[in-house]
Amino acid sequence: MNERKYNIRISSEGRELVAIDDFRLAKSAITVLLGESGIGKSLILLAIAGLIDPDELDVQIDGKPYAAYLRSQEAIDIRRNGFFVFQEPSSHLNPLATLRAQLREGSLAKTHDEERILRKLWQNSTSSDIESILDVYPKPYRPSGGEKQRILAAMAFKKMAASAELEDSTFIFDEPTGNLDNRLRNEFLDLLIENFRDRTATIVLITHDYSIISRFASTYPAVSMRILYRELMLERGKLHLRDFLPGEYLSWLEKRNAAVRTAKKTETILRLHPDIEIFGRTLSISRDKEGCNLEPLVIRKGAVTYLKAPSGTGKTTIVKLMMGLIKPEKMLMELGSAVYTEKTNRNAWARGVWGKQMTMVFQHADESLNQNSKVKDVFSGLPIAGPMNERTIANSISELFEEEPSRDFLNTKVKYLSGGQKQRLNLLRSLILHTDILILDEPLNGLDFASAAKVITKIEMKLQSGIGVLVISHNEEIFDTLVAADDIYYLHSWSPNCTMPDTSKR
Amino acid sequence: MATKTFTGNSWLSILASKKDLPWLTIWIAGLGVLWIWDALFLNAPAFARLQIAFLNSLFTGVMVVLFSLVLGWFVGVSLHMLEHSKSKVGFAVISFVTDILRSIPQIITVLIGYVVLTILLHNGIIRSSFVQMLWIAGIIAIAVFLEVADTIRQRIDYFRTLDFVDAMLCCGIKERRIINVEILWKNSRSHMLHKLIAIFGISIFLQCSIDFIISVGLSTDVSLINFPMTLGNLLANVDSKQDILALSNLFTEPGYLPVIFVRHLQGLSVAFCIVFSLLCIYMIANGFVRRHKLA
Repeated sequence: MNERKYNIRISSEGRELVAIDDFRLAKSAITVLLGESGIGKSLILLAIAGLIDPDELDVQIDGKPYAAYLRSQEAIDIRRNGFFVFQEPSSHLNPLATLRAQLREGSLAKTHDEERILRKLWQNSTSSDIESILDVYPKPYRPSGGEKQRILAAMAFKKMAASAELEDSTFIFDEPTGNLDNRLRNEFLDLLIENFRDRTATIVLITHDYSIISRFASTYPAVSMRILYRELMLERGKLHLRDFLPGEYLSWLEKRNAAVRTAKKTETILRLHPDIEIFGRTLSISRDKEGCNLEPLVIRKGAVTYLKAPSGTGKTTIVKLMMGLIKPEKMLMELGSAVYTEKTNRNAWARGVWGKQMTMVFQHADESLNQNSKVKDVFSGLPIAGPMNERTIANSISELFEEEPSRDFLNTKVKYLSGGQKQRLNLLRSLILHTDILILDEPLNGLDFASAAKVITKIEMKLQSGIGVLVISHNEEIFDTLVAADDIYYLHSWSPNCTMPDTSKR
Repeated sequence: MATKTFTGNSWLSILASKKDLPWLTIWIAGLGVLWIWDALFLNAPAFARLQIAFLNSLFTGVMVVLFSLVLGWFVGVSLHMLEHSKSKVGFAVISFVTDILRSIPQIITVLIGYVVLTILLHNGIIRSSFVQMLWIAGIIAIAVFLEVADTIRQRIDYFRTLDFVDAMLCCGIKERRIINVEILWKNSRSHMLHKLIAIFGISIFLQCSIDFIISVGLSTDVSLINFPMTLGNLLANVDSKQDILALSNLFTEPGYLPVIFVRHLQGLSVAFCIVFSLLCIYMIANGFVRRHKLA
């Protein structure tokens, strides 16, 4: 396969951000670029796409100044014939133009495939639904993250159609499915393969979603020869790119699926009644996807409870109110012998729940951790019996890190860690506690495969110790291997079409 | 190459990159030059008065900063805790008091403090200059500490909008630790230091302003003579006023310029000390904001 090899150095105010000698990009192929977050994947591809401002960062490509690279035919072609879908869609869209206008801007106006692409990305939506979204401005009307992401994907697919005749065009998708549920993600992948199959485009797909591997393997075996999986890794402070064999993930998953999971009838620790009112909305919980038969959400000893719902339904809201962090208009939660309602004072959670009965891992490690803390100080102030000296902290950290951390690492400020390292610390801070219940909100966010596997093993160890776990995660393929069917719940914003059940018997 | 050009490690480039340090250097160097000049040309008693006045003003300014930090930290954190507590009475009381304080111009608050100080001096309750300076620092701090309290509350409120506080609470970390250590100590030192530099400048300005106002005397028994020597006090002194007035000679007699720097040194030196210090402190504070990207 024809490959272009890059030597890339990126620094800011004398501090090296990225340095890699062997970044390879396969031409006329799909490269699925994996690796933990914050390691430099986006930055490397932004540099290749010629999208870094030379006044902001010092960039060298193949030993030459960035300005020279930007003048090269290669960089000009990538910008002219290709497309870059940014991870944060808001940063890409112009707040002063309607989505429709942006979808038809410049060379995108030439293609006539728009309706088909939009229909596919807005599966099951009527034309009028799509039309109404296209007429809004990104800022004041705030389309959802998923809608913005699909608009950007539609732009990229339109550009792909416009560049169909060209031999060399490069399309980079940076976490294009981060805000999409599994169904919409699959629609996106179908469209990607459909556009790629008979063409010579070079596509890079940056993702942490390893279930894309199963999707490609099961649905598109014919194109699998043209799909490469590569993982960007940081080893002993040095970045390098390794080939990731899909079998690594698939066989791990297969092994996990082979284990029989049955719902053990263990003791109930928490029961959250299914009709909840918050922010003027009614949220309900059921075991059926449709949400017509409401049931209390139960967390049991030694079991994982999995709460599923499309993005934006309110999963994080539910767990925050269970933790007493936000005040609902109506709720009833039984935790052990105590009852918590909308009238319960926040101090009750502070006295008896936080760090004692329950703890929670928030989904954004960047916000949850103190960026100005040293690694060892992340564990300061936790309600743990016995001393937390450097030795015990190092031992705990080594459970989710490759090797025992050095003293230098323990004294490194959190802000200098990669996103994946931050997420592992974020998890460890709660895993180290001895609570009855552990709530995990997107625990595999930003992790590479090896770290994700370690986290799953660690959760299993906690389960064996009798802890109850509540999980919210879009990594359904992975967490489905950990949860019994009876312990899966669905969250709904209450729909008047369904009959609310009689909850008076509760 | 369209990349950054600062790669050298010379002390000059390091100094320039710090943004606030060049002005700190200019301040110290300027005062040093003035000190040498005065040592050579100012008469000994006036030179001694100038040195004492400068050191006293500096000491009072530093004490204002310390008092403001302690008061501001205490009030800022207390207001935050009370705002989120079950009972809102404490919050209402402290808010009311601070709002009253906020509504009074700082110069009036300081003037009231000086009136009280005058009464204490008059009755012989306070005698030592040291205690008088602490009192002056205390009353200036009362006028300005809300700046620190507001910064503290802004920082806490900002972190409350993130998952930062909730994530730590859920792990059982005490709220007082999250606020005092994690938010204020680890994440707000630059913001606080910037505020304290500004408060130091304000305290010098307020000292000089109030000294000038009371140079007419607060009572028949208590006037500037009873107060410790400070820069404002020295500037309000009749000799210094005459030195400043001598500048007007330059309009009719430009040849008088060299004489000014030798014969009217006391007034000019005090005025230079005040204006130059205020300018440098202002520039240091601005440079600090740029260096730490606080804006």
